[in-house]
Amino acid sequence: MRVTLQVKPRKKPFLPIEAETIVPAHFLDGTDLVVWKGNRELPLSDVFSVTVEGTAETADEVEITMRGDTSRIKRVGEYMEAGRIVIEDDIGMHCGNFMSGGTIEIGGNADGWLAREMRGGSIICRGNAGNYCASGYRGEKRGMTGGTVEVFGNVGDFAAETLAGGCVVIHGSAGDMAGTEMRGGTLRIEGDCTRVCGNMTAGTCYVFGTVHDMLPTFRRRGTAVHDGVTLTAFTGDIANRGKGNLFVRDYKYMD
Amino acid sequence: MNEILIKNACVIDPISGINGEIMDIAVSDGRIVEEVGSGAEVIDAEGFLTLPGGIDSHTHICGTKVNFGRYMSPEDMRAGRTPRRGRMHSTSGYSVPTTYGNSYRYSGMGYTALLEGAMAPLEARHTHEEFAYTPLQDTMANVLFDGNWAIMEAVREKDTKRAAAIVGWTLAAVKGFGVKLTNPGGTEAWGWGKNVSSITDVVPYFEVTPGEIIDTMIRATEMLALPHSVHIHCNNLGLPGNYRTTLDTFDLVPDLNRKRQTLYATHVQFHAYGGTSWSDFCSKAEEITRSVNEKPQIVIDMGQVMFGKTTTMTADGPMEFNLYRLHHNKWSNHDVELETGSGIIPVLYRRKNLVNSIMWAIGLELALLTKNPWQCLLTTDNPNGAPFVRYPEIIGLLMSRKYREAEFATIHPDTEHRVSLPSIERELDWQEIAVMTRAGQARALGIVDIGKGRLAPGAEADIAIYPLKIGEVDPGREYERVIEGFRQTEYTIKRGRIVSRRGECLVWGNNTTIWVKPKISERYDMAQDPAFVEKFDRYYTVRMRNYPVQEEYLKRNLCIETETEL
Ligand SMILES: [Zn+2]
Repeated sequence: MRVTLQVKPRKKPFLPIEAETIVPAHFLDGTDLVVWKGNRELPLSDVFSVTVEGTAETADEVEITMRGDTSRIKRVGEYMEAGRIVIEDDIGMHCGNFMSGGTIEIGGNADGWLAREMRGGSIICRGNAGNYCASGYRGEKRGMTGGTVEVFGNVGDFAAETLAGGCVVIHGSAGDMAGTEMRGGTLRIEGDCTRVCGNMTAGTCYVFGTVHDMLPTFRRRGTAVHDGVTLTAFTGDIANRGKGNLFVRDYKYMD
Repeated sequence: MNEILIKNACVIDPISGINGEIMDIAVSDGRIVEEVGSGAEVIDAEGFLTLPGGIDSHTHICGTKVNFGRYMSPEDMRAGRTPRRGRMHSTSGYSVPTTYGNSYRYSGMGYTALLEGAMAPLEARHTHEEFAYTPLQDTMANVLFDGNWAIMEAVREKDTKRAAAIVGWTLAAVKGFGVKLTNPGGTEAWGWGKNVSSITDVVPYFEVTPGEIIDTMIRATEMLALPHSVHIHCNNLGLPGNYRTTLDTFDLVPDLNRKRQTLYATHVQFHAYGGTSWSDFCSKAEEITRSVNEKPQIVIDMGQVMFGKTTTMTADGPMEFNLYRLHHNKWSNHDVELETGSGIIPVLYRRKNLVNSIMWAIGLELALLTKNPWQCLLTTDNPNGAPFVRYPEIIGLLMSRKYREAEFATIHPDTEHRVSLPSIERELDWQEIAVMTRAGQARALGIVDIGKGRLAPGAEADIAIYPLKIGEVDPGREYERVIEGFRQTEYTIKRGRIVSRRGECLVWGNNTTIWVKPKISERYDMAQDPAFVEKFDRYYTVRMRNYPVQEEYLKRNLCIETETEL
């Protein structure tokens, strides 16, 4: 089954739409779904032109394509377990919250909290992602626990905060404090970042660019070669008796 | 004029000496009156149990600590969400709900007045802002003085009048209600990475002992004629063997007040532990209640623990650090300048855990072994022992030995060797429950005179009508009916208006904040005391003139002015 959601022209396109209902499994029972604008409940068809082609028995066979200005559509794919969502352009905050299976592909940029507390499945973002990409919510002890997130552009601050499992790959650079409070999983940053992995207790982080303001509470162990690149290996964060692995190509401590 | 006539109410009003009489209650303009006109709205109470509105004399519902508990626990905020409905705003949270969550849930259970147990004076504005959005209960805040530098200096100088003057100035400045001492001296010692372990230990730098702080503050409180007594969270909370410190504290207390106790000891369950370590941990509720039974000058509250998830929060920073080292979960630690501190951690009390099982039993023992219900009030130290929504189950446990036995069979099997609960036959009656949930609180807080905790003409019309016919329920056997009955009122009436009907909150309540302003002569006005002013401006991060909470932070409020010896 192919579902296409084309955003209709909106008078106030900056007003966010809460669309946690946009999950493949929900379309097995038709398109009579609701979204929220502020405290107002709207039929899905008020916001989108909905077209459905073919049929499906299970959520695995459902593919949703979202077109038009989706940059303020929030919580798409929340708690998704199976199927596929393709977003052609940008997507709003909290895309893929708590997702445990299936695939989300984003052609443009993702706003904050992409893949928050993800449990499984995969998310690919061709553009940039905002703050708290693949992190836990504020105050949460365990963030993402499984699945994979791949961002081809840059990400904002606090990427993979409280990462506890799964794999996060950032082809560009990360902002401040990526991998803070990591307790498991793998974080790979191909570009630069600052103050990485503070308070980390376990897990593995690779930085193929330069870490600025490298934290002094990581103990240098020597060097290691990963994917053909020689990296400096650290253990930490020793301020938290951490046993995490941090591999960086280049690093600078704060002046 | 807003008038209500409640017909066929089965009234228990211990302060007025009414015990289960079927009668009518007339309400006019927010007060109970002898009679009302024929135009009054009539409510048929159908013979249901009708009590003065519930009062919680020790709960944590508003302020910086509570809010940080919300902030650090998104999982708690996700639990217990309710959508906006009628006059009710949306709510979220279970152990640390939003202010509306607290207010609606308390109101649904018939509660009409709440005392926030611990307000740091410097952070009072936050508490008052949240009070303003706790619309269905009157609110009071106890003010923390446990690590107050100026107080400790006055204690060192043995100058009780000066201590009283500082308390008086501070209460009026922050619009507080009473004096709270949390681990006196210990919260300041924690600033030095230390703690105190008995009431004779010396607080670093200040060279005073907890015992001296407690004694001075008791005398200062009486000098100021405050409605409520000193309200203490004893030293050594939560540690095996701490019952000795609790008994030593009780032994300090003279009987200085005719109308109420001289010391209110809160969440005593956490302070009634025997043993030398967690391995020989046991109940000392018998020793504690023996002392309370001999001392009319002392009132305690239970601090009952119930199994399940909750959040602990207290000004007792070092205690929370010990808990953190036990659990290794989240932890918040906070210092409040020249005043106090705080700590917060989430906890899970488990039936299969021996220590948790013993704690559960101790709270019940305290209530059942204290002979006079006016001396042991029902609390969980919400949310420290359990969220207040568990109160109905606690009532059930106190009224039914059968329920206690059924619960006892599900907890850690070794508990029976460490507690005396299984041998206690006592089952509390309706009147005793009414004392432990409203009348006792009103008397202990000193708010009977302003119309709280009773239903006689002249009292505030704060009334709770529960769907319970006390003649038709045997609480010992039918404890489930008791629990259901106390879970939700038929009507909760606040200041003469029906604020809650079967759990549905009907109005924006516009609560009253009750605060105290002792009348102090110019000679003892700390705002004009050069040494006090100089210390203040030197060590606080705020200017003294910016410290007092402005009147606009209080919406509707009632100021109790007291005649003092100063
Ligand atoms: Zn408390």
